[in-house]
Amino acid sequence: MKLEIKNVTKSFGEKEILKGISFSAESGKALGLLGRNGAGKTTTIRILMDVFHANSGEILLDGKSFEPHKVQIGYLPEERGLYPKRVILEQMVYLARLRGVDKTKAIENSRKWLEKLGVIQYEKSLLETLSKGNQQKVQLASTLVCDPEIVILDEPFSGLDPVNSQILQEVVKELIADGKIVIFSSHQMSYVEEFCEDVVIINQGEVILNGNLQQIKKEFGRNQLVVSDVKRAQADMEKLLYEKLSEYVEVTGKTKEDVIVKLSAGVSRNQFLQRLVSMEDIELEHYETYKPSLNDIFVAKVGEES
Amino acid sequence: MKRFFTVFEFELMSYIKNRSFMITTILVAVLLGAVTFLPRFVDMSDMLGISSEKETSSDEKKEEPALLGLVDEKGYFSNTSILEQAFPNTQFVVMNSEKDLKKSVEKEETEAGFYVVDDMNYHYYVLNRDMSDERRVIFDKLLGMVHKQVYCQENNLDYETFAANYEAPVNCDEQVLGKDAADNFWYCYALVIIIFMVIIMYGVMIATAVTSEKSNRSIEILVTSIDSKYLLFGKVFAGAFAVVVQLTLILGAALVGYGINHGFWGDKLDMLLDIPINVLITFGVFGIGGFLFYAFLYGALGALVSKTEDINKSVGSLQMIIMIVYFAVLFQLENVDGTIMKVCSYLPFSSYSAMFVRVGMGKVVTWEVVISAIILYASIFFVGWLGAKIYRMGTLRYGNPIKFSNALKDIKNAE
Repeated sequence: MKLEIKNVTKSFGEKEILKGISFSAESGKALGLLGRNGAGKTTTIRILMDVFHANSGEILLDGKSFEPHKVQIGYLPEERGLYPKRVILEQMVYLARLRGVDKTKAIENSRKWLEKLGVIQYEKSLLETLSKGNQQKVQLASTLVCDPEIVILDEPFSGLDPVNSQILQEVVKELIADGKIVIFSSHQMSYVEEFCEDVVIINQGEVILNGNLQQIKKEFGRNQLVVSDVKRAQADMEKLLYEKLSEYVEVTGKTKEDVIVKLSAGVSRNQFLQRLVSMEDIELEHYETYKPSLNDIFVAKVGEES
Repeated sequence: MKRFFTVFEFELMSYIKNRSFMITTILVAVLLGAVTFLPRFVDMSDMLGISSEKETSSDEKKEEPALLGLVDEKGYFSNTSILEQAFPNTQFVVMNSEKDLKKSVEKEETEAGFYVVDDMNYHYYVLNRDMSDERRVIFDKLLGMVHKQVYCQENNLDYETFAANYEAPVNCDEQVLGKDAADNFWYCYALVIIIFMVIIMYGVMIATAVTSEKSNRSIEILVTSIDSKYLLFGKVFAGAFAVVVQLTLILGAALVGYGINHGFWGDKLDMLLDIPINVLITFGVFGIGGFLFYAFLYGALGALVSKTEDINKSVGSLQMIIMIVYFAVLFQLENVDGTIMKVCSYLPFSSYSAMFVRVGMGKVVTWEVVISAIILYASIFFVGWLGAKIYRMGTLRYGNPIKFSNALKDIKNAE
């Protein structure tokens, strides 16, 4: 299955929230939807879920117009919400049945997911009696109770402790392995990096980066190196590169210990290395290709656009 | 349709699992049913004002006679026995002056007193007049009789002949072939109050259920899982079903119990509980219709606010309409065939109570009832459709309550 979002725009009154965004997601892959607060991620998801109607653009599933009520979708909204005063199993079965699952299957699925998420012992409890983390797990179980083909998780890790995050990570990996389309919105880049093959970065209602994460990282790190010297502190190394090697490289940033540099046009890695080692007081510690983290890419791209 | 029943079942369970709902229903039904059996086991003849064997044997235990003062300078009532016959269990104390009479009433030596000026005028003295004081009415009649006697004397007429012809008794054998408004008044009155209370009470419950889904944020999951009209229809119909069951149990217990024990009550509660079946059916059809009509509006108004504490602001205008209808119908109960009731019996806002009152007490033909029912049920579908639109539109609009007029504008713009 392939879900495509094409040139979707959305305004609320005078305010234009989405300015023609396009991206696609495929079965067996997770797509990370990233952006700063208010970038338009949740609006995009809500348009996908038909909570809002787009002003223009189209959404296609396998080339045909996408109708969310006709496909099983597991949706975990940013604003979590279930019935606090109802029994957990009862409301999970209700939600599954609303999505067309028959009662027996709904009970079976509910128990399966409660078991998997380690909260089966609360199936007969009222939701409000559970801790916030366990309520979050019940919410996730309710999302998956209908055996969805498409799973949309809006900030799934918020409010989870490290142990529960680990459980959720395993569930997401399983969903990907089962061939589901997983769309994943999060501010926590490490999780996105771990699961998502593709990423879309939205900023101020526009897609500013879209594609395969490894490819993006490779592209972003192209012609960039990290260097450090055994005898020099990071700041001194940066000063040296800036003052004596500016013909070869441009300092673009810093990691925890190293300095990130970009090769100037026409300069090869070997030329820069030869020049570097030819300097008298240099004892190289690191000299390698810069491998940016998603966080680096995000900060660089969003900062650039802002 | 299957999903509508899923919502219906889930919402109905919330009533069934609500302990106060279940306890109130069962308790009130059992209590009312039990009360109707009381006269079988307990002597309630005093309370009901019906004769019993014990009453005749306790004649000797009469109350102390009431003392009334009388100043009759012209001697019209020189024989106070005429007065004592007209005023049961009363003794008259003859006094000499109006002043003495006034003092005796003030000192509570006598309960009240009459100062006869002439055969057409008298003064009545009483310390505190209670609402059921009929002494003046009785005395008016007696003095009127005296006046006629004086007139006959002055004109040489035979009083007996005069009285026999002047006040000749007219016999009437009344046969009410249609409805007796006097008999039907009280149960119509009671049913108007019941349906009013049910709409207000359950309407607010439905509005609260909708607002709660917004405040606990479950609404986003719900509207992305199922068409919002099924959600609102399921909720409203579950409420209607709960109302019908509750009222059937409570009214049924009272009506069946009274039917069984009718004789023991000496027909005293016929005015409340001997409801003709056609009135009950009309009450059912229009009561359910009225409930559904308002329940959809309550549901839609519940979607316009995000906090349960704001519900009263949102439903205030609707409550006002219901109150106006309630008072309009109650005040017109003695004029059920008047224009106001006729108009009210066709408007969907008011036909739920006006029409069954007209059926119970007034002149109404079948086609009028059918047309009114068609208008009401067509309006229900319209408000249901509108309610679902408002419900959907209000889904993710949090913050300040949305005005109903703005909601309608937004729906129009979205169309």
